[in-house]
Amino acid sequence: MSDPNNPPSEPVPGDLSGEPPKLAKTLKDLPEDDTEPPAWATTDQAAAAAEIAQGGAFEPPPGWTITEPTELSTLGPSTLFNMNEATIEDTIPKDRPLIAPLAPMAVLRAEYENGNTIFVKQIDWLVDKGYKGVRRTRGDGDCFYRSLAFAYVERIMHSDDPELNVMRAISTLETTPAMLSSVGFQELVFEDFFDIFKNLIMRIVQPEPGKSRLTARALFDTFNNPEESNSIVMYLRLLTSAQIRLDPEEYAPFLFHPEIGEPMETVTFCENFVEAVGKEADHVQMTALTRALRVNVNVAYLDGHAHKDGEIDVDFVQFENAPEPEDPITLLYRPGHYDILDNRDQESLTLEPL
Amino acid sequence: MAVSSRRLQKELTEIKTAGTPCGITLLKADDFQTWFLSLEVLGESQYKGEVFALMFRFDPQYPISAPAVQFVVDDKYKAPLHPHVYSNGHICASILGGEWSPVLSVIAVCITLQSMLASCKEKKRPPDNDRYVAHAPDNPKKTRFVYHESDSAAAP
Repeated sequence: MSDPNNPPSEPVPGDLSGEPPKLAKTLKDLPEDDTEPPAWATTDQAAAAAEIAQGGAFEPPPGWTITEPTELSTLGPSTLFNMNEATIEDTIPKDRPLIAPLAPMAVLRAEYENGNTIFVKQIDWLVDKGYKGVRRTRGDGDCFYRSLAFAYVERIMHSDDPELNVMRAISTLETTPAMLSSVGFQELVFEDFFDIFKNLIMRIVQPEPGKSRLTARALFDTFNNPEESNSIVMYLRLLTSAQIRLDPEEYAPFLFHPEIGEPMETVTFCENFVEAVGKEADHVQMTALTRALRVNVNVAYLDGHAHKDGEIDVDFVQFENAPEPEDPITLLYRPGHYDILDNRDQESLTLEPL
Repeated sequence: MAVSSRRLQKELTEIKTAGTPCGITLLKADDFQTWFLSLEVLGESQYKGEVFALMFRFDPQYPISAPAVQFVVDDKYKAPLHPHVYSNGHICASILGGEWSPVLSVIAVCITLQSMLASCKEKKRPPDNDRYVAHAPDNPKKTRFVYHESDSAAAP
């Protein structure tokens, strides 16, 4: 499991990877979040092949995992046993929260100070442009959907006219269950997810029974409650899938298998890389979801590359779908991972009485 | 009520009102932890006349997390002889692992497994059956199966 929040210059205890994030030129070329095989995976395979060629069953050392398609029959029983053990460990909750409190950009900068100087300069460039804070998300493959959902709700909450913006959001959202039904999703599959998302937005202006109106603290807690947080992520996945399925001619030319690069059928792509839990979003999913939600989203692309002339800035990939002019939600992209950028460097998350 | 119980309640209501597809029967669903369904392949197939039972175990994160699904192996039921089914009842199917989606319901999983059996050309165990069964955890979700692109159980 790679965690791009922890760059190679400063491995954090408990982070098993520590391998450098791979760089890619365009969003399309980017590796899938958290499923990217570490650099040693190929060595691992070569070693396995050599061992097997010599007539022995390959036993990877402790801590190694099998990341590439491998015949189970070529693995020794203790490998299988270790794989089982590793999977049991995976079920232990990770210490990184689903959504972290806002942190000053200096925290992000500090991670790169002993490493890639271009990253440091790109971070400084973002700070100069007014992006003072970063809110991190867990690198679990759901980070794009979770980042967007959080920033979407938070922005309505902090807007000048929350009543109006809640009304707008709800009127867009209320058209979406029919979209999901029309592409064949059963109501029982999505209605609970929809209710959780809609009720959270309604709570900005209208307290729920036994609960206050939505506060920064309540929003933070909701997004860190796996049941509610993952339900919202799932609704956005199904909405993304419905958007793609309803307009196959628009999206079909861009549907490629993220690992092998082969063109894919719309339905297969949606089932395997949109609706499945933990599958990272790429440009296609981002286009579809921002259209369905009718929002403007800018993605700041922190890639560690300087321009040919040596100048260092940050490219933004823009998704413009809002019916009326509005400032975009800004996400920070580092290869394989999305976080949220903010023009504040901290927030108050004091516990408030109900 | 938690999302998982609410969802399972709805699936149960649908089974009881709309019924189950041909060849699939609800055997037992007394709680929201463990359900049993029987499965047979109708028409011409390698499994003509055989009846299997499936056990579904749900954790509190269902349907975000996949149910643990396996064939029942006891005095009455045996696991089908199939290249993706181990003799202890564990099933190697990508939809039960990395390709799980909450879009799938208990019935949808049964239909996928039914078609996996229906399309089987040769009745045989997976090549590593004995080694796997000797070390397999009780819960098949704890196994990191390795799937193949051509896996007939990969998608419905």
